[in-house]
Amino acid sequence: MARWKRFRAGRDDTLTVSLAEEELSLLRALPEQLREVLDDDVDDPARSRLFPRAYLDPTAETEEAEWQALVGPSLLRERLDALALVTVTLERAELVGDWWQIDLTPDEVGAWLGVLNDTRLVLGTRLGVTEEERELDPADPEAGPYALYQWLTWVQGDLIEELL
Amino acid sequence: MTMPVEVQEPAIEELTVTDKPWIVIVWNDPVNLMTYVVYVFQKLFGYSRKKATKLMRQVHEEGRAIVSDGPVEKCEADVARLHAYGLWATMEHPS
Repeated sequence: MARWKRFRAGRDDTLTVSLAEEELSLLRALPEQLREVLDDDVDDPARSRLFPRAYLDPTAETEEAEWQALVGPSLLRERLDALALVTVTLERAELVGDWWQIDLTPDEVGAWLGVLNDTRLVLGTRLGVTEEERELDPADPEAGPYALYQWLTWVQGDLIEELL
Repeated sequence: MTMPVEVQEPAIEELTVTDKPWIVIVWNDPVNLMTYVVYVFQKLFGYSRKKATKLMRQVHEEGRAIVSDGPVEKCEADVARLHAYGLWATMEHPS
């Protein structure tokens, strides 16, 4: 029997993703959480991580402001569009055997990759993750978000393996 | 081509300042997956798997790598695409 794979290549460049019921629920909660960060205009390290400076030179404020004005709106729009697309795909999950399955087009795969990565950037910034894995007491308030972060890392890693 | 009527001294210093390319740097961060960074370099810049992997390793081990260069407009566009993918990228003009 073939090894179980989270993402499996199908016809016409589609990828089929398989999710357990609770995994589907977890993913369905992500777009709203990410949208809150994107909609928020206040100074937030997580938001700054998604929209960093372009000019390293801190004296290049004019250039930086012009660049932000030029590309800022479209960078935000792309992220919101990806969120909307992921939300739509999650709505059409179908139960096949034990797994909820969704066939994803290449555009939808791109949106998944972006939303998974953006969510990890937000969680990772808030949790202050490093390259070292953390051992957290289950009672730690960060244990839940960190477990979600690690699960998303695993899912995103599986997705990239299929794309590389 | 026509012969110049008057030979002008090229303004060498001016040329080297304006012609010197801007560089785009990607910085190491603890969140982005190594495989993801390779994927983004291949997709954005059309780099081979080998070149993309070499640059990713340089980012990981040295903390930063120059991933592209060119005129200021090109570098601004490259940085925007890298940010869209969630990579931490900046641009600068080496003096």
